[in-house]
Amino acid sequence: MIEQLRWLVYKDWQIDWRTRYPLAGIVLYIASLIITSFLSFSGFISPEVWNALFWVILLFVSINAVAKSFSQEDDRTLYYFYAIKPERIIVAKFIYYCIYQLILVAIAMLFYALFLGFPVRTIGAFLVNLAVGSIGLSAAFTMVSSISSKTNNNAVMMAILGFPVIIPILILAISNSQILVLGGAWSDITGNLITLLSVNVIIIALAYILFPYTWKS
Amino acid sequence: MKYLLRTDWWKWLTIALLIYVVIGGFMFTVPRLPILNETIRVLHFHVPMWFGMLFLFLGSVIQSVRYLANGRMENDIMSSQLAEVGIVFGVLGMITGMFWATFTWGEPWSSDPKQNASAIGLLIYFAYFILRGSIQDEQQRAKIASVYNIFAFAALIPLLFILPRMTDSLHPGNGGNPGFNAYDLDSNLRLVFYPAVIGWTLLGFWVATIKIRYRKLKEQLDD
Repeated sequence: MIEQLRWLVYKDWQIDWRTRYPLAGIVLYIASLIITSFLSFSGFISPEVWNALFWVILLFVSINAVAKSFSQEDDRTLYYFYAIKPERIIVAKFIYYCIYQLILVAIAMLFYALFLGFPVRTIGAFLVNLAVGSIGLSAAFTMVSSISSKTNNNAVMMAILGFPVIIPILILAISNSQILVLGGAWSDITGNLITLLSVNVIIIALAYILFPYTWKS
Repeated sequence: MKYLLRTDWWKWLTIALLIYVVIGGFMFTVPRLPILNETIRVLHFHVPMWFGMLFLFLGSVIQSVRYLANGRMENDIMSSQLAEVGIVFGVLGMITGMFWATFTWGEPWSSDPKQNASAIGLLIYFAYFILRGSIQDEQQRAKIASVYNIFAFAALIPLLFILPRMTDSLHPGNGGNPGFNAYDLDSNLRLVFYPAVIGWTLLGFWVATIKIRYRKLKEQLDD
């Protein structure tokens, strides 16, 4: 099982590395989004706006990064179907896109801090909340991507199916990091952070149970 | 659901309850509360809409789970029709809520967390219907829509019941506001409110059974 998972994750990595342009494209996407927001917000950005804008940027980055996860598998579906259990496919996708998302978030955070500053004092708590939130985003979008890849209009479906589902995670993560940006400490967010984690666990568990049904259709 | 399709004693109960609710809701004495005044009567029409919507969506999710378990088209038809009626209830609940809010909170949309959450809940189910529309193959549509229905319902629950309680809300029972019981939802209001919840919910299921029958007949004609 571990062997198969490693193979699947490695295969996703190889596909991305061989073509290179998806990863380069998304990095460029991050850069241009952040420069655009810098030009529109520079000079009058307050910490609350800084925080909200950053999460909105993350939302768009992750929906674009993860959207391809299943639509690129079209021609290989039949082969997997006979070779691998669907549960392993979804777990491998979770692992790969979780790492992928964390790398992209790190890049986005760097660019963002460079252009629009970094008003956070409790950095540890901020980063933990950021990581938990982005894992939730990538997990939910991975599942939504597996649903929307079955429709004819992939890009639009991804947004209309994904945004409503993602909102609980987004609200929790934004309110956490707003508390931190305004000078809160670890103890102010622990309750919310636990709720956020449990929402993540619910989403991952449901995706694990439901994915085989979308896969077999 | 099957039981509801077979029997009809509960339709008489619905009619009786709703007649009682309309008469009682407008005629019975209500407690005089500042700001609320007579608008408190909307309670019997606004809150039951949300109860009805939740029960209908819950029914829809149960049918989706059944469909995934046994693959019978009948369950998928029930699931989609229940969701359709549920969304009508949701829209009505939102309209009555906005109407009530205009007179008590001062504006139709006051960015109350529960209002926002229910708007998102409606977005989820509108997306569900777009999803159904965008898949041609019948079996595949049923399967994918069921999966999304279950997934989205699980996301809706924390949104409606956990998040609004954590922030300040204008709704009773949230964000440190006292619940209904602490206000005087006095015995007169209760006398109408509980029958109203049951009556409106049953009405929703009634509409759904008609729609389900119609759908099934249409399927048979198509075959």
